[in-house]
Amino acid sequence: MTENKSNEMKIKTVNLSFYYNHLRVLKDISVEFPERSISAIVGPSGQGKSTFLMIFNRLWETIPDARMEGEAFIRLNNKWVNIYDRSISLPELRRSAGMVFQTPNPLPMSIFKNISFPLKLSGVTEMQSVDEKVESALKQAFLWDEVKDRLTDDARSLSGGQQQRLCIARALTLDPEILLLDEPTSFLDARSGQIIEDLLLSLKESCTILLISHYMDQIRRIADQVMELSGDTSNNS
Amino acid sequence: MKERFIEIFIKSFAWLSGLLLLSAAFVIIGFLMIKGIPTLSLSLIFGDTSPADAFLLRRQVLTGLFPAMAGTCLLVLLAVGMATPVGLAAGIYLAEYGRGTLKSFFSLFCDILAGVPSIVIGLFGFSLAISLHHYIREIYPCLLISALALAFLVLPYLIRTTQFAMESIPAEVRLTAPALGATKLQNIAYVLFPRSLPGIASGVILAIGRCAEDTSVIMLTGVVAAAGIPGSLLSAYEALPFYIYYISSQYRDAYELQTGYGAAVILLIICACLFLAAFYLKNQLMNRMLYRQ
Repeated sequence: MTENKSNEMKIKTVNLSFYYNHLRVLKDISVEFPERSISAIVGPSGQGKSTFLMIFNRLWETIPDARMEGEAFIRLNNKWVNIYDRSISLPELRRSAGMVFQTPNPLPMSIFKNISFPLKLSGVTEMQSVDEKVESALKQAFLWDEVKDRLTDDARSLSGGQQQRLCIARALTLDPEILLLDEPTSFLDARSGQIIEDLLLSLKESCTILLISHYMDQIRRIADQVMELSGDTSNNS
Repeated sequence: MKERFIEIFIKSFAWLSGLLLLSAAFVIIGFLMIKGIPTLSLSLIFGDTSPADAFLLRRQVLTGLFPAMAGTCLLVLLAVGMATPVGLAAGIYLAEYGRGTLKSFFSLFCDILAGVPSIVIGLFGFSLAISLHHYIREIYPCLLISALALAFLVLPYLIRTTQFAMESIPAEVRLTAPALGATKLQNIAYVLFPRSLPGIASGVILAIGRCAEDTSVIMLTGVVAAAGIPGSLLSAYEALPFYIYYISSQYRDAYELQTGYGAAVILLIICACLFLAAFYLKNQLMNRMLYRQ
């Protein structure tokens, strides 16, 4: 990993291994990721890239027969926190580590309800602050101008690229410190992908971004460091 | 050549079966309409009482179908009203919380309940009323007992449709809310349940139809030929399917038999209205939960 001395570390794993049943998909990974940067995770299919992302919001725990060994830490409020500690509240962890999936997954609701959904989950009900948050998240995700006049439309009526930006905006409403992105541009055309790349570059001012990507040119354009997952070993370059 | 023949045969058989189903439904409804519609009149429903007096319960309707219509509507609303919350909760449990042997145990009992003939459930309701009568003198076979028995009759439909509707939600949708910090209950309440509403609504509609047409349960648990509009949950009542059954076995002249057809048409209309109401309610609920700001 190219050391980025100006930034402190934000995320690290210690001797992390992961199994589905008896199949080991991650072996003994110890890495660190600096804050406010974009770290790309690359490697052939089936080497556990998506699993690796789900370590940091513990979403894999819903998968039956999955098992993890080792430890994962995130630095929250300047303190290293073991995110698998019993004192960790799962909803809170997932609110500070937002995730965007490969396929845009807007909920079958209006655009407004999609964006304000995480606020509703965390109990924010005051209408004015909800409105402000929705607007600022949509602006952050470069989507506000395109949807401001149709916030009550079904989110699924948007184009693929707009849906993916909607999902990013939805992850941003709670001001997450970490964004986990699983090949966010792979189903989008070049122009929509370009917009999302610009968006990620602007988001790295405030977030630590882990990005799975298959496109070497995309990685060259936006990634600050690259981690390769291949077979049983991980190589940092 | 042989494969082609088999294909043509299966295709035409499928077409024929579809056609048969459609024409059967068409013939039954058509027959009922031809026989029933000419008898429809205000006096069939209200007898010689004026409609306004009947609705305001100022005068009893003695010779019309009005008490039976009121009884059927009350019965359906009570039974479905009692069964729906229990059925939905049990369905959600089976789909989202139940695991392992406990789940298969509950599933088995749900299937057994679904397989119990309605006359047995009626008998059970009757025995329940009799044994309760020993302790509380006011309890005889009545509207409440009938509604309870019918609620048990339709419970398996509600449980199964809810369970299947929730289980058929794709995995991506299931993970969306937890990835945004939703607890399990929030995921169910805000995403999984609203998305299952169309499936659940079809279960409720099935339950309404079953409650409205059932005769054997209510025959044993409180329906009578002439009771008027039920004054309370503990009084006997009239119902349309029982009227149809009674009049077609005991009619004294051609006109009485005709009123049976009229009652059948009215029963169909009431069912259609209840279906529409359930459908409207589903749309309103979905709209409220998913779209309105």
